[in-house]
Amino acid sequence: MLTELGDEGVQILAISPDTNERSQGLAERLKARYRFLADRDLAVTQRYGLLHARGGDKGQDVPAPATIVLDRDGIVRWLTVADNYQVRPDPTDVARAVRAIK
Amino acid sequence: MSKYGPALFSVALSIGAIVGYFSFLRVPVIRNHPALYVAAFALAAAIAAVATVRAPRWPNLIALALSVTLLGLGGYFNFVMARIPLGPPILRVGQPAPDFTLPDAKGTPVALASFRGRTPVVVVFYRGYW
Repeated sequence: MLTELGDEGVQILAISPDTNERSQGLAERLKARYRFLADRDLAVTQRYGLLHARGGDKGQDVPAPATIVLDRDGIVRWLTVADNYQVRPDPTDVARAVRAIK
Repeated sequence: MSKYGPALFSVALSIGAIVGYFSFLRVPVIRNHPALYVAAFALAAAIAAVATVRAPRWPNLIALALSVTLLGLGGYFNFVMARIPLGPPILRVGQPAPDFTLPDAKGTPVALASFRGRTPVVVVFYRGYW
């Protein structure tokens, strides 16, 4: 997704319980429009209905992998929520959903 | 050697499924169909089982033991361990996304609402902890 959405004029917000200093450094080196946000207590994850209770490697709560495309009015235009943590969306599908907004 | 052809094919299929899955993890169509490796183990087990029934000799038994073990482990991982139980969906296409404000990597608060009227946003939730 880092490259697929490079020139789409879109803001990517990547949310996890981590503080993500390293991820943000990587994104800036790649000049990707990623902003990593820390949901330390998973309150936002929970509000979005994406809490995977005890799903982490040490039995901690983690977010279910999800990708949500919002238009300029903040309306959900496309979304995918993984029901198997090996599965991630195809970046070309996400890019297509973003392009469909314009 | 050719009389153990099916056993060899079974072992190659089992190992090929593992190597193939991890080699093509970056290819969405492979990564997003993890049941494919379970199916390959099942096929390998079926071939080895037929070979073992026809000739219960150690090469066939080894192929059977390997493929059945992988089928059990792979099936358990894919269908039980990796499964994410999801509650009722809160997000719906056509509905507004709930607003939030979260700190970025430098601690600066970022509000979803601040992008309204300016740019489309892709919100990605990921598991983290690496």
